[in-house]
Amino acid sequence: MSEEEAYEFVKGTLKEERIIPYKEDELEIIKSIEQCINCGICINHCPVVAGVGVDQFSGPRSIAVELSRSPPEFWTTGDKVYLCTGCGTCREVCPQSVNIPEIVNMIRARIFEHRPDLVPKELHKVLETIHAHEKAFAPWDDPEDKIDSRDMRLERLGLPLVDIESKESADVLFYPGCQAEEMAQEVKEAAKVILKRFDVNFAVLDELSCCGLPARLIGDEKTARELNTSLKEKIKSLGVKMLVTTCAGCTSNISDIAVRDNWDIPIYHMIEYLIEHIGIDRLQAEMASDTSATKITIHEPCHLIKHTSRQILDYAVEILQAIPNVEVITSSARDSCCGGGGMVAYHAPSVAKSVVGINLAAIDATSASRVVTPCPLCTATLEDNLYRSGIPIDVDDLTVFIATHLSME
Amino acid sequence: MADYDVVVIGAGSTGTAVARDCAMRGLRTLLLERDDIASATVGTCAGMISSGLKYMDEPEIVDMCSDEVVHFLRIARHIIMKNPILTPMLEMSDLSSGGNFAEEYSKRAESRDVPPVLFLTPEDSREIEPSLNPEIIASLYFEEYFIDPFRLCILQALDAKNHGADVKTYCELVDIDVKDGKIVGVVYFNRITREEKRVSTHIVINAAGPWASKVAKFAEAKVDLRLNKGAHVILDRRVVNVGVIAKAVDGRMIYLFPHENTTLLGTTAIDTWEDPDTLTASHDEIEYLLQSMEWVIPSIRDARIIRTMEGVRPLVADWKIPEGKVTRGYEIIDHSSQNIKGLISFTGGKLVMCRHMAEAATDLAAEMLRVETECKTHLEPLPGNEDDVDVLALAKEFDISQHAVERLRARRGTETRMILELTKDHPDWKTTICTCEPVIEAEIRYSIRHEFPQTLNDLRRRVRLGTGPCQATFCTYKAAAILADERELSGHDFQLDILDFLSERWKGKRPSFRREQIIQEEVAQGMYACVGNLDLTLGSVYTRKPWEDWS
Repeated sequence: MSEEEAYEFVKGTLKEERIIPYKEDELEIIKSIEQCINCGICINHCPVVAGVGVDQFSGPRSIAVELSRSPPEFWTTGDKVYLCTGCGTCREVCPQSVNIPEIVNMIRARIFEHRPDLVPKELHKVLETIHAHEKAFAPWDDPEDKIDSRDMRLERLGLPLVDIESKESADVLFYPGCQAEEMAQEVKEAAKVILKRFDVNFAVLDELSCCGLPARLIGDEKTARELNTSLKEKIKSLGVKMLVTTCAGCTSNISDIAVRDNWDIPIYHMIEYLIEHIGIDRLQAEMASDTSATKITIHEPCHLIKHTSRQILDYAVEILQAIPNVEVITSSARDSCCGGGGMVAYHAPSVAKSVVGINLAAIDATSASRVVTPCPLCTATLEDNLYRSGIPIDVDDLTVFIATHLSME
Repeated sequence: MADYDVVVIGAGSTGTAVARDCAMRGLRTLLLERDDIASATVGTCAGMISSGLKYMDEPEIVDMCSDEVVHFLRIARHIIMKNPILTPMLEMSDLSSGGNFAEEYSKRAESRDVPPVLFLTPEDSREIEPSLNPEIIASLYFEEYFIDPFRLCILQALDAKNHGADVKTYCELVDIDVKDGKIVGVVYFNRITREEKRVSTHIVINAAGPWASKVAKFAEAKVDLRLNKGAHVILDRRVVNVGVIAKAVDGRMIYLFPHENTTLLGTTAIDTWEDPDTLTASHDEIEYLLQSMEWVIPSIRDARIIRTMEGVRPLVADWKIPEGKVTRGYEIIDHSSQNIKGLISFTGGKLVMCRHMAEAATDLAAEMLRVETECKTHLEPLPGNEDDVDVLALAKEFDISQHAVERLRARRGTETRMILELTKDHPDWKTTICTCEPVIEAEIRYSIRHEFPQTLNDLRRRVRLGTGPCQATFCTYKAAAILADERELSGHDFQLDILDFLSERWKGKRPSFRREQIIQEEVAQGMYACVGNLDLTLGSVYTRKPWEDWS
């Protein structure tokens, strides 16, 4: 047998024995998981465990000491690992900094490769959409409807429509992400309003494509990598100096892949960009002073505080405190997750609902009349669940909240 | 008529195989074990049912090994896994030593449903195992099968019982009755009831492994053994994708094998005169293994070591040659030559040969008893291997995690359903007791009721309780409570058993303590000493084990 034939044969045995070899860049994650001392602190902080109990979701500890130990058995862990919302709370509270969210992705990727039939079928549907449109949401059937929806949203918020000509020499690429591109269009428009107000030389993609996070969370590493490459090419061809996004998931995911794939440009969430590049003084100077007094509370997106940096939320508070007549009230929800992460809501809505339930109670207990959060996914999830629970509290994406509090030009 | 036709001494892999064979052939059989099933040599092995890769210059033994692998795949498929294995080579001289092996191995590969020895490029080798040293020049590739050695012995013992044998653990042989140069009976001491008992028998089969000389002495017979000890270092989880074989500092071959949900690094081979009961791995052995493996897996020291284990091989007494040159075959001694009729002893052998050894000894016993019998141990499945098991369907039917069911299946095959049935009347028995394996309460209860464990250590051998990274930190008190409930133990015995179990864990942990496992130990000490106060409560009654240094 030639060496090529030998290797092909060996790959056959590996497949039969259900071994998908760890790649070199994954060994660091394995090393991290080995640090687990089974103390169980994570179980007391995991929002999914708090929501549904350890019988349904055995929790991060079991992922570290039990489910992740033997790759040939990964195929039997789908009933648990697909319930993780990937919030990253476990990693943050862990005395050993065990990287649970990443091992979850690694396991899901192996289930997806070996036993795609054991991946929840709803997630295959999402992949169909991603494959067809390079976005996590299907585009509108009628483009006119999409424009109408956008205009209605802008009218409700009293925001102008900002036209941008495609700028060849833009400094900043504003990347709204799939959700704000197709669904929460007001977030995309609000961001444009803000960037224009501060004379930022920015561009948007003619054809937005997904950052790859949903595919990665589903376990389709191949599609995720293809989307990463496609986005990198688009960005490189624009020649921008940085990327700004309003989506928490995009912020953390693109930050990771930009380092991994040598994009050589910094990635910012809008909040970071405003503080670090515009400055709080300029921002404050543009805020309207004639708004009515509002009590708000902040929901902290996992992908910012636990996957990127807690500093972003300090920035968010700083910005909110710079807006006249706004009082920020602290919610008692700790380690909060809106339940929208990890693609859980697509296939296990009852689990996602139990997770968000903890948040709803905490938000309801504040005297705030509005929740703001720098993430369109959290916004949609909270809004929907508050409404269904009959809690009369409005939700705004933070970018929208800022845009609507700018003074009239 | 004598009480028994055959009394088998020692419930390791060979003794349990002998008891099974004798019972299946209709011989009235008693199996006596001083401790628990698989509590010594076989319990410290890597579980490889080797095709004979280390003894290619003994072709008839390689033939036998290869055939035995085929038999095991027939009778015990449910507790067997296949490991792809790489032997990476760093220099041309490593390559030249592979030639004879490749040829001998490949001759017999087809019957075991594995490929001949293959050669892989360094690039392909590193795709399969990225932690390999980038400087390797090529790899040999072959495949071997691995069995759960504990379950194998337990299943052989249970099958012996199912065929009418009496199996008595914690019953230590204290004398052999010989009359007119003929075996007539044995005397054993039941360590649990503290009673001595005499039974009559025609034949004694001495499968006591490292203690075979001692057993023979009771009949004033002689068995020469070359005792040789070997250490394994056990790493948390599967840190390599496939098995890796490397040349050690002294030119011997050592290995790193994924095994169940751990990885085993082994082994050393040192002639020994120490007490097999109290042996622990030495610093030298651990370093020997780590340094030897470090050449092909440079990151090996970064892996988490959870414990070590040390066992003793009862080799055939070939003296004045290196250990590696001693035959890996076995010998059956008919002590008639020493004028003792009815006593049969084993020396040598390997795990893979245990059934073959049993067949040969049982043939001899049948001949002595003048009965016509036929061996069927290579044909009849061991308990649990009667059928395939649908893990996903069972998980759904009993509303229990798929992984918990898969781990149950890997230990028990078709018995899985019987255990899960218990949860219908007792839904709370789905509770996870050992979080690392995992082990659910129903399996522990089932094991206590059907597999005659006396202690938590015995449960560990049957269900892998406490063998994960936390080394029994979180399962001990829970499992002890279940054992106390089932066996109606006093509070005092309950606490003593906890200490005994933790002490056995300590025996393996202490020699390799470093980094993560020291942090882990702080958690364990915090629970059992600081919270449980067990060190003080029982300080006056607990007898310190030889490997425990409390000073």
